[in-house]
Amino acid sequence: MLLGIDVGGTFTDAVIVAQGKMLAKTKTVTTHGDLLQGIFCAIDTVMSEAPGTIERVTLSTTVVTNSLVEGTIDPVGLLVIPGPGMNIAPLLPGKAVVLSGYIDHRGRETAKLIKQEIADAYQFFTDRSCFAVSGKFAVRNPAHELAVERESAGMSGVKHVTIASQIAGSLNFLRRTNSAYFNAAVWDKFRQFAAAVEGALVARGVAAPVHILKADGGTMPLAMAKCQPVEAIFTGPAASVLGIMAIGSCKGEAISLDIGGTTTDIALWHNGVPLFAERGAAIGGYPTAVRAFWLRSVGLGGDSWVRRSNDKLLIGPERVGPAMAAGGMEPTVADAMIVAGLADFGTRSLAYQAMKQVALPGRTPEQTAQEVLAGATDIICTAISDMLAAHQAQPVYTVNDMVNTKTFTPAAIIGVGGTAAGLAPLVARRLKIDCLVPDNGAVANALGAAVARATTDITVRVDTEQRLLTVAELSIQEKLSNKSVTMKDVRQLAEKYLADRSDRFGILPDEAETLYEEEFNIVRGFQTTGKIITCRKQVKPGVLTDVR
Amino acid sequence: MSVNANLGLVFFPAFDWAISPTHPERQERLLYTRDQIVEEGLLDLPQIREYKPKLATIADAERVHIGVPDLSSLLTDAHLVSAGGALAAAEAVMAKQVRRSFALVRPPGHHAMRIVHGTRGFCTINIEAVMVEYLRQTYGIRRIAIVDTDVHHGDGTQDIFYHDPDTLFISFHQDGRTLYPGTGFMDEMGSPNAFVSTVNIPLPPGTGDQGLHYVLDNLILPMVADFEPELIINSAGQDNHYSDPLANMAITAQGYAKLADKLGADIAVLEGGYSIEDALPYVNTGIILAMAGLDYSKVLEPDKGRHVPQQTEQTTAYIKKLVDDWRRIWAVRSEMRRHEIAKTGDMWRRKRSIYYDDSGIREQQQEEVRLCPLCQGYQTVGTQAEGAGFGYKSAYAAVIPRHACPACRRQAQEAVVAARRTGQYQFYFLQDKEKDLLEKV
Repeated sequence: MLLGIDVGGTFTDAVIVAQGKMLAKTKTVTTHGDLLQGIFCAIDTVMSEAPGTIERVTLSTTVVTNSLVEGTIDPVGLLVIPGPGMNIAPLLPGKAVVLSGYIDHRGRETAKLIKQEIADAYQFFTDRSCFAVSGKFAVRNPAHELAVERESAGMSGVKHVTIASQIAGSLNFLRRTNSAYFNAAVWDKFRQFAAAVEGALVARGVAAPVHILKADGGTMPLAMAKCQPVEAIFTGPAASVLGIMAIGSCKGEAISLDIGGTTTDIALWHNGVPLFAERGAAIGGYPTAVRAFWLRSVGLGGDSWVRRSNDKLLIGPERVGPAMAAGGMEPTVADAMIVAGLADFGTRSLAYQAMKQVALPGRTPEQTAQEVLAGATDIICTAISDMLAAHQAQPVYTVNDMVNTKTFTPAAIIGVGGTAAGLAPLVARRLKIDCLVPDNGAVANALGAAVARATTDITVRVDTEQRLLTVAELSIQEKLSNKSVTMKDVRQLAEKYLADRSDRFGILPDEAETLYEEEFNIVRGFQTTGKIITCRKQVKPGVLTDVR
Repeated sequence: MSVNANLGLVFFPAFDWAISPTHPERQERLLYTRDQIVEEGLLDLPQIREYKPKLATIADAERVHIGVPDLSSLLTDAHLVSAGGALAAAEAVMAKQVRRSFALVRPPGHHAMRIVHGTRGFCTINIEAVMVEYLRQTYGIRRIAIVDTDVHHGDGTQDIFYHDPDTLFISFHQDGRTLYPGTGFMDEMGSPNAFVSTVNIPLPPGTGDQGLHYVLDNLILPMVADFEPELIINSAGQDNHYSDPLANMAITAQGYAKLADKLGADIAVLEGGYSIEDALPYVNTGIILAMAGLDYSKVLEPDKGRHVPQQTEQTTAYIKKLVDDWRRIWAVRSEMRRHEIAKTGDMWRRKRSIYYDDSGIREQQQEEVRLCPLCQGYQTVGTQAEGAGFGYKSAYAAVIPRHACPACRRQAQEAVVAARRTGQYQFYFLQDKEKDLLEKV
């Protein structure tokens, strides 16, 4: 049995899934003061409904997000090794001490670290216990980052040092640095949370491994999450997207709409897998390397405020309260849905009253409801077409990709969330494509968490001219024994290191997939002197079982 | 979408295209630049917005070029993407989505001339010229200044705008007596109606940041200001760098970044630059930061201090004299143009030979330009090209310029018909810039 828990802003949901069936589900109110209380209340409810052996517990938690939002993160001692280039200091979320030293784009040391500077930097942050170190091109050679981390050994009061290249193996010093900063900032808080969860589960006799959902829709074992808690940010939308995956309805190219009270989250799907944000998620406006689904949020939902200004109908993005039918003071989209017969709750006559309030002279409440719904559909369709345009405008770097550009042509809308049943079909009709509104949509998040597969990734880079092999995430840099390495060899190496990394944390390395690969000749004068081959692989995100 | 960033960046490294596997213009050329741009996080800055290139059309290219026997058999898709990158950069500026833009694209274009028989100096079509004529056709822009900062003389761009007084073409480069293409001397100033709208500044080998900025401050910037262009274009070659393997200059990444900052080009387009590991990552980072209005003072080559040659006193003195000479000419340019027109009479003629290093072709050209008092004057070109493995091709073309007077329009049409009657050439073309058409006659 798989237990999934989603701690959302309003509700904490839990489900138990076994053999492709949902055996129990519950929705309880999130206990903001002490999240654990709500979590265990939900666990106790589903476990009593479906007793048996739990094989895995997965948490989609807002602990990380909350502490960021509430500003209860720890102060971080940030040490950066930028070398020459853009002045990064003003762009970072916190004060950074800049250290000497430089690694160039080929991973060669072109300036040395200065030991005294490192000691001084730790001293400078004497009031802090969580540190992050980030060096430019450290993913090509982690030596400087590792040396700075080693220097912390003798320092009193240093609890943790996040090494940026271990958090993210791709190029982008700015994003890696921000990722490392936030990772260090939530490290202690997350560790306490993890310890409490483990303790409470043991007390309930649950010995199953605990996983944490990541923003990219995979899970990570708690041991890994303790090292890189920043990956656990923004898991709410990821869980809902995974829920859609578990319900198993996104084939071909599709658009999913998670329509809630005030917002609609839009995702694009290709062959059953959602598209990823190109470079990573932003945290509090700071770009990071945290891999996440590509979502666009638009301020429209069932509770969106409907009013008229100079004859013009305005819908959202504000919410001033619930639908008038449910005792609210102002007309909402949900009132229009009730009048149009697309929803059935609250007091019907009050919904009519709401529509009369915003009707143009001579128009009936029914006509006005249609006008509101058409306006709401417009808002979602505009966001969809912006997203499709942005997808089309994504830069490509080869002539082949430029000449053979594929357009994204969705064949279906998948709607989940409280308001989806009413609005999603209208959007689909406007776009002249199919519409699916699966059952169990209301607990899609917890369901997604329960069945999400554990994932991890690895970046292997080989520079045959320098005879070097680098695996950023594992801080490996070693001499190649053989200079005539091919793409095929590098793929095999990537699979091996992916298996190693998975194994280290108890992740099953099934279904590895290539995220990215490239191969270039190095030419000196007019001679080919070597190759640079990069291969990035991951355990494919997905679901352990479809749920019907 | 109206995101107002400072800089629009079209990055197109053509990772799957090369002239040949070990040619300097190969897949790997912008690899290290990509690494640096991505690693710095430049594409994540709110001041910079990345754009995808467009795919330029053959018609876009034929607004400038006359391909023999036709352009489509001479170019590849990569050329249309590269030119389309320049068009996308221009559109972003014209739509006011960004203040400036930089097309960091390959393959380059500034050695491609009006008549195209093949590839020369790694260029097949002139991507800046295609962009300039697109800007004129689409947005009605007239006065444009092009500043070519590649180490090689921008002979293709010079050729295309040699008779056009609305285009100020300024090229500084390593002296043609010491480097390909062997042209770009001071006395190449444009045909009489466009006299002194072509400005060549041949610099001695070993010129460093000091010499370059002396030329910029005392000559190029005042000239551009005097010309009062609607747009400034920078042909942003990067091979004046001290580490470039194909040239002998001594400019640093800081020198280039300061140049970009002072010039304040509306649109920059990458040209050459073949120190792909030691220069391009830093020069491009510097130019991007400068054009985006960001701090570029920390951009330095990691090997700087070990390898930058010092500009000699002799070079400094030479450059000072060169600038003085040019300033004297520039001051009397209107008189010189009048004198040149008066001296030449009704038709201006020249004969020359053109060398296609990549395609192994030698071309002979005979040009005529009518010195019309009412317009730029119609132009004709006779061309014969020969090469081992290439064979022989010849063509005759007449060009009706933009804003042509009725007489020039008629005479251009008559010229091509008359040439055809002689049967002297294999192909005949009429390029009508007003009707935006290239006709095979």
